[in-house]
Amino acid sequence: MNKGKHDPIFWLFLAPAIIAFLMVIIIPFLMGIFYSLTDWTSRPQPGGLQFVGLKNFIESIQDPSFLYSFLLTFVYTFINMLLINIVAFGLALLVTAKLKFKNIYRAGFFLPNLVGGLILGYIWQFIFNIVIPNLPVLSTIYPAIAEPANLMLANRNSAVMAIVIAGSWQYSGYIMMIYIAAILSVPEELFEAAKIDGASPFKKLLHITIPMTAQAFTITLFLTLVQSFKQFDVNVSLTGGGPSTQFMGKFMRGTELLALDIYNTAFTSNSLAQSQARSVLFFVVLVVISLIQVRQNKRKEIEL
Amino acid sequence: MKKILVVLVLLTALVGTAFAGGNQEGVKDSGVRPTLELLQNKPEIDAALKTYAKAWGEANGVDVVIKTVGGSVDVTVDQMLTVGYAAGDLPDVFVFPGVDDYKKWSEVILDVSDQKWVKDTAVEFVYDGKVYGFPVAVEGWGMAYNAEILKAAGVDPASLVNLSAYKAAFEKMDSMKAELGLDSVVSMAASISMSWVTAHHNFNSLLSNGLPYGDLSVVNGLLAGKVDMDRLEQYAEWVGLLFKYADQAVLTTGDYDAQVGAFASGKAVFLHQGNWADGNIEGAGATFKRAFAPHGSMNAATDGIFVAAPAYYAINKDSKVIDFAKQFLNDLVYTDDGHNYMVKEAGMIPAYSTVKLSPTSPLSQSVQKWAADGKVYSWSQYYFSEDFRNNTLGPIYNQFAGGNINETQFVAALKGAFEGLK
Amino acid sequence: MKEIKRSSTIVTEIITAFIFLIFLFPIFIVILNAGKDPFSITSNPLSLPKDWFQVFRNMKIIWLDPNLRYGSSFFASIIVTVFSLLLIVLVSGQAAWVLVRTKTKLSQFIFFLFVAAMVIPFQIVMLPLVSWFRIVAKATGFQLLRTYSGMILSYVGFGLSLSLFMFHGFIKGIPYELEEAATIDGCAKWQIFYRIIFPLLKPITATVLVLNGIWIWNDYLLPLLILGKGNKIQTVPLAVANYAGAYVKQWDLILTAVLLAMIPVIILFLFLQRYIIKGMVSGSIK
Repeated sequence: MNKGKHDPIFWLFLAPAIIAFLMVIIIPFLMGIFYSLTDWTSRPQPGGLQFVGLKNFIESIQDPSFLYSFLLTFVYTFINMLLINIVAFGLALLVTAKLKFKNIYRAGFFLPNLVGGLILGYIWQFIFNIVIPNLPVLSTIYPAIAEPANLMLANRNSAVMAIVIAGSWQYSGYIMMIYIAAILSVPEELFEAAKIDGASPFKKLLHITIPMTAQAFTITLFLTLVQSFKQFDVNVSLTGGGPSTQFMGKFMRGTELLALDIYNTAFTSNSLAQSQARSVLFFVVLVVISLIQVRQNKRKEIEL
Repeated sequence: MKKILVVLVLLTALVGTAFAGGNQEGVKDSGVRPTLELLQNKPEIDAALKTYAKAWGEANGVDVVIKTVGGSVDVTVDQMLTVGYAAGDLPDVFVFPGVDDYKKWSEVILDVSDQKWVKDTAVEFVYDGKVYGFPVAVEGWGMAYNAEILKAAGVDPASLVNLSAYKAAFEKMDSMKAELGLDSVVSMAASISMSWVTAHHNFNSLLSNGLPYGDLSVVNGLLAGKVDMDRLEQYAEWVGLLFKYADQAVLTTGDYDAQVGAFASGKAVFLHQGNWADGNIEGAGATFKRAFAPHGSMNAATDGIFVAAPAYYAINKDSKVIDFAKQFLNDLVYTDDGHNYMVKEAGMIPAYSTVKLSPTSPLSQSVQKWAADGKVYSWSQYYFSEDFRNNTLGPIYNQFAGGNINETQFVAALKGAFEGLK
Repeated sequence: MKEIKRSSTIVTEIITAFIFLIFLFPIFIVILNAGKDPFSITSNPLSLPKDWFQVFRNMKIIWLDPNLRYGSSFFASIIVTVFSLLLIVLVSGQAAWVLVRTKTKLSQFIFFLFVAAMVIPFQIVMLPLVSWFRIVAKATGFQLLRTYSGMILSYVGFGLSLSLFMFHGFIKGIPYELEEAATIDGCAKWQIFYRIIFPLLKPITATVLVLNGIWIWNDYLLPLLILGKGNKIQTVPLAVANYAGAYVKQWDLILTAVLLAMIPVIILFLFLQRYIIKGMVSGSIK
């Protein structure tokens, strides 16, 4: 093959991908950026589309509930990434051990991925509101669990944790698969050598498994970052943004993540152009964060 | 490898037929039978409406397509219209709840002032002197009560007319909870997803309770940022009372099911919902006597409940089947089949004087009785934008319900919200 | 020494099994409650159903509900999922191959663009996509809204980035000598891909199939925008939302519908499971 030359086959093979990409992502994306600079409503507009400059952007960053959603999304993303990766790595370690039913376990841990996000939110809402207060074991050990004030979805902080739990439950099986793959690709000889040296399992984990799987972390952290930042389905159906909170002197939904804020701006607040502006800001932040994250990880990989 | 090839060929063949079929199906029928598409938001009447529309369509040579959206987290009619507008695919008839939504879609809503049914209803949607909306039904809410438990507790429903009467009744029954088999006195919901109960329905007590029907003095005052503190404080006390005597789990995390379920199973005496809950209450197997009492949001006695058309059908001005759409609506008002569908099948209270049938469910009958006596107050919440109700008011009620702010702070927060409207 | 080792394995087994049970608790709740009447679901979610066959009757109710049209929704979901997957694999597989084998600045840049698109929030393209498809239909007469073609095209577009990324990683690990040998044997270039490379991509293809399959099968928002609600073509999640969306949540029917929708994906997963890990090893982490 001709390295460094773009022969017809290059373009021919690439063409379907580029066409689909242009049609579905790039053109609508550019249109979206364009709309964010106008007073677009996606409703009949007698005056036609007006160019408004950066008005939508300025109004967005002046809106406390947008700022709140931004902050909340950062917090959520941080906790969620941490939890998913710890759980996923832990599970991967367990199911790569010599276990009798490891294939069943793997399938089981992956199973939540097969439930759609909206439905998954309903299931967990059902569990938090109805199952947990009625759980015989829990309510005898810790009766306060059934008190209304202690319901997971009744308080802002615990409701955020509820989204984290449901989100992690869904996604950690997927990330686990990547870790399994990484762990299985560590050469067996390394462990053999460590065994001869009499290294403890913990030492083996710290000095062999983690360094040797470091490159998996780049991709898992990237995937969980993007996934957490874009969280929408579970947010909508599990909490709907509630309960409320106070921020900068304003009352607002306490568990409304960015994607939901953008969605509500588009539909309840009747300002589609502003929701486009918010998603452009969202995009810029996401790009910056993922670039930093991937770069940091690549550096770490080399150090390790 | 061969197997894969065979599969591939089969799939390609399938894809061809699927695409061909898909394209034909996707485009609206251009052929013989026209299509009339109606978008509505009442899941509870969906089945009845579809059956009626099918029969009507058969008789008139139209395919009537009914699309139903609704519910707490599903898409709303407005979202469907927004997406539909982007797609260039608006329904021929669609439902809208009131003035705020009318303004969003006024460009495509047909003026129907010349229609026959206008003179046979009192609750059509009027804007600037012209009629734009066909009232779907009449609905009402007040405090729905379980007459049997009230009787056992020795409380006369006729006495429930103001704050002090409700306060006394709530206190009394709260002390008898064990004896009456109650979890709580009131079944109320105030989670963010239930903002339609607090920031829409309950909010209306502040706007129209005790005022002549159609009186907008309070509404206009608030929209101009002028707050009647005395009225607001009394209202806040009412909200506080409802929240205090509600089941806290239902109040802060419950959905519609949980709220109505508590009332239907006799675990609560009062339900803060309207006559639409009847079907669900019956569905849960309840047979007890029930009716509406007025809201007690004021010190002065108020003698009436909130009754109005909950939504209106609008005809799309650009529709290709405007005549069919007009006829469809007219036939609801002037044919026996139409009456039968509205009242018997869908269980709605008719908005038209031509309809002689009456619904059989107790709460609907109670609404009709209040309306027949002329003891009704307006629905004025739709003068405030959905944004304001959901995004500004909803969280304030939720904070109060969760105990994060007290009554004084609640009043201050509402005052601040109204002053921000200027 | 052996003794200790064996007992530690047993301990690990027990721990894993325990976690496994906790992990599957929500699924267990779904199965337990799918066959109860709504009232006993909310009042006592952990009780055993009185009648285990109720779940099959619920399935029948769902299947026969004329508004839900579960049968035709299921068919539509199958069509959309199968053809989207097929196209995603072919389109991104061949694109990834030429991008790996052509080492130029341009090809690197194109690859970077595809991967970078993963961070575009869906909300930004959501409504413009609908407007754009309408413009296309007006200009060319080719209907993309409310049709299978538009739905499938959208999935190919949205599924490309991750799939191309995974194929790219995998193909990098395939020795180039294989292709050189084929060229010497007189294989045309396009044949090299379909005859030699593509069969080698099995593990990563399985991974791509499963990951995209899960997402497409369960997706709600995109079909809502492209297909609309209540139109001729509707997918299973759109149909199920009819139960979950109403004010009244018919839990028995929702949970049964969840079960029904999960089954095909579970089957696909079990079929492909052994490939997936292999694919992950070579694909995603390089």
